Amino acid sequence: MSNHYIERPRYTCAQGGAAATVTALPGGIPILHSPSGCAGNFAWTQNGGSGLQVGGYCGTLAIPSSSIQERDVVFGGDDRLREQIENTLKIMDGSIYAVLSSCVTEVIGDDIKSVVSDFKRKGIPIVGAETGGFKGNSYLGYDLILKSLFKDFLDRDLEKKKKRVNLWGIIPSYDPFWRGNLEEVRRLLEQLGLEVNSFFLAEDTIEAIRQAGSASLNIVISHAYGLEAAELFEEIHTTPYISVPLPIGASASESFLRTVGKTAKVSSKLTESVIRAEKKRYYRYLEPLTDCITDLDLQRYAVVIGDANNATAVTKFLADDLGWLPELTVCTDQLQEHEQERLREQLKHLESRYPVTLVFESDGSRIREHLKEKWPATGAGRYQNLFSPAFVVGSSLDRELALELGAPHLSVSFPVANRAILDRGYTGFRGGLRLIEDLIGAVVAGR
Amino acid sequence: MSYIDLKTPPKREDRLNACIAHAGTICEMAAGKGKKSCLQNDGDRSFTQGNICLLLPALAMLNTLPDNVVLQHSAVGCGSCTHSQNANVRFGSNARHGKPKDGIWLSTAMNETDVITGGEEKLEQAIIEADRRYKPFSITVVSGCVPGIIGDDIDSVVQRVQPEVNARLLPVHCEGFKTKIWATAYDAVYHGIGRTLLRSGEQSPDADGLSPYKGLERLPYTVNLMNVSSMGKIDELELERLLNSLRLEVNVFPVFTHPESMVKATQAALSISTCPTHDDYFLSYLEERFGVPALIRHMPIGIENTGLWLRDVAARFDREQDVERIIEHEEKELKAALAEFRPLFEGKKVFISAGEFRALATARLLEEIGFTVVGIRSFHHDHFAEVEYEKLAKSSTEDYVIDIANVQPFEEANLLRRLKPDLFLGHANGNGTASKLGIPTHAIYHTALAYIGYKGVYEIARRLHRELKNPIYNRKLADNVRLPYRDAWYETSPFSYITKGDSAA
Repeated sequence: MSNHYIERPRYTCAQGGAAATVTALPGGIPILHSPSGCAGNFAWTQNGGSGLQVGGYCGTLAIPSSSIQERDVVFGGDDRLREQIENTLKIMDGSIYAVLSSCVTEVIGDDIKSVVSDFKRKGIPIVGAETGGFKGNSYLGYDLILKSLFKDFLDRDLEKKKKRVNLWGIIPSYDPFWRGNLEEVRRLLEQLGLEVNSFFLAEDTIEAIRQAGSASLNIVISHAYGLEAAELFEEIHTTPYISVPLPIGASASESFLRTVGKTAKVSSKLTESVIRAEKKRYYRYLEPLTDCITDLDLQRYAVVIGDANNATAVTKFLADDLGWLPELTVCTDQLQEHEQERLREQLKHLESRYPVTLVFESDGSRIREHLKEKWPATGAGRYQNLFSPAFVVGSSLDRELALELGAPHLSVSFPVANRAILDRGYTGFRGGLRLIEDLIGAVVAGR
Repeated sequence: MSYIDLKTPPKREDRLNACIAHAGTICEMAAGKGKKSCLQNDGDRSFTQGNICLLLPALAMLNTLPDNVVLQHSAVGCGSCTHSQNANVRFGSNARHGKPKDGIWLSTAMNETDVITGGEEKLEQAIIEADRRYKPFSITVVSGCVPGIIGDDIDSVVQRVQPEVNARLLPVHCEGFKTKIWATAYDAVYHGIGRTLLRSGEQSPDADGLSPYKGLERLPYTVNLMNVSSMGKIDELELERLLNSLRLEVNVFPVFTHPESMVKATQAALSISTCPTHDDYFLSYLEERFGVPALIRHMPIGIENTGLWLRDVAARFDREQDVERIIEHEEKELKAALAEFRPLFEGKKVFISAGEFRALATARLLEEIGFTVVGIRSFHHDHFAEVEYEKLAKSSTEDYVIDIANVQPFEEANLLRRLKPDLFLGHANGNGTASKLGIPTHAIYHTALAYIGYKGVYEIARRLHRELKNPIYNRKLADNVRLPYRDAWYETSPFSYITKGDSAA
């Protein structure tokens, strides 16, 4: 990993993550306070990385932008922003407007907070977030805009509803499987009798989002994203949160349900009956694949490459459910030490006890070197214990590694340039089955 | 002294009086010749939607260069558009070398500390490290808004580090807030190439004082075919076919060209542009410093324009008779082939949106195959396009709207609801509005598809015929989703938010 550059960053900047998040809200209208090019940069980024999903109700080049120019840089962009917001309200039909600042407007010291609060005082549903790109990547942007939403948009001092929970931690578009991943988790929570607000799905409404403060529990499906927002939520609205890993497949979903059930005070009888029913279906559907798993010798060594949500979650699924051999797991996010520790912790307690090596590496082309270290060549001539048969689960940028290894490949983490994704997800019991279909499908594609 | 001697190229609004905000009509734009003062003071919009900046087209070119590393000096998001452009790099490498290959792009990912203390040191280290790690022939150091605003001087960093590294270093200036005309991107890239890889003044002058890059000879029947990434291999092949038929060798420049072999461009007998929006800056440089004359008018899109383009080339090599024979043959064959598609197109209304030259040339093509143009949006306007507006004004029986807009889908949504076209052609990520209104849509540019020359006419017609045979996808979409505009907006003039400069005629 270089200290001076990031190779092919597998995300965009904070403003891009925040913009995608606002677009995913019901009736969400982002307003970029930035030079003209930021919206287009995000459109092209999603076009190339988000499984062919670009935009939404108000996304891509439809996003209002103050498109500040050199003269605004000299004289300040506050007036231009004010004008832009006023006209946005006349033209764009939204249920929530979110002003997102950029590198340039932050360096020149524009005060979006005071501009936004002027509009807010008039009763406009508007928030603002300082999302200058130099602050961090798209995951940080997600956290920043959620914080603004929790602080400035949600109704306060609401009475808590016992069975009501909020769900987040999976980032719109920058997890290309966000819809499917959120939907399945939501479905599982509903099985537990909980009422779920998930912010970004078709079932969610802006009214329910306003009432999010009435939830008794916040469930953050991540060990890295959306956690600062969860802290702030608790501070303002007193709702506690739990942070759990992305539950992929039967084992992870089972422990997810138990953890949530316990924390949300669901009767263990109900929790256990949900787990029983889900597992029954899962194994009933998996059963007929079993012959071919053996007959076609479908067990694989694996390299897993992904963001902080996917890397360890997919690894756990491969090791603990599918019985594969994930030798090397690479998290491509640049995480802080305590976040790295949480990811390491996840892999320390694998049921299979498979000794996975976890590395944090933002330069994709170095993964080959990490693999060499983990799996040095042994033997010679006709007796070689090669890293084979192998599989590479990662992003579309890891196809070259797969090619080198002669291994099949599946894109599951941003960027996903080579798959069209609508509501496919890998979470939960159903997602586990999807992932098996896709992995095995890639192995037998030439059959 | 010419522009190339300056550290950074001028922006197009200064160099060409290019503008982006104007509500016009085809007759007015065509009549503007000689009295285009109405456009010299560009308008403004008091409401704008986001679009792109010069960084995107610049990266689209730079990412294709083999053996080159693109080092982005800015915050981490700048250049993430490469995730999409990389598909073009892979596809283009496969088409040219039989193997898909990912581009290599890096970001210095400037953070809050860099913003405060300056990012030059980090950039310096990044260059040295990238040189050692990837061992590329060249590293293009591309600056975004952040270094532009905090005052990092990428040129002096490059100068300082160059002796320490093997790679040739090309600074490319893409500070997005500095120009609203993103076509400045082409100047920025060409500027970097000219000042580093094709430095003039080192060659020994011949009789007229100008000669190719040092030690190289003039190639009397080789022409430079300029491609800044607006044509795929399939289009290059079509133009090569036509130029070969005039007994000319073709040197495609600069996309997918190894930086080391770029010097070949100085040896050519002629440079041929397919689009003045792209190439005027660099063609002047090749002409002034290396004695390579240039052709820069007409875009070979459509039957008439392809013929005009070819005739211009032939005239330079005294091959007028050959070219007439070739054109006659090509047109005859093409027109016969188009006959089966024409009935479905006849009388259908079309709206076109793209970069100025591309939009206008494509409009003419669509007329030629039977459509009626009802509106055009050009992403910007400069004087090079006047002749194209004239061509269209002559061929149309009715006046129609010309919206000079750097995309701005809200104006488009309003216009399309009024004009109700039967077909919309737009740029990548610019077809969604029309789709959601239920209008059949087609991409006006895609490097995997054919658009150029005679073959391009046929392939566009064939694709449009296919799409119009079943446009139900967009219709169903329109029944079920809505655009993010208030109903009141559609009752307002589409140009209500263009403020100054709109003094049409």
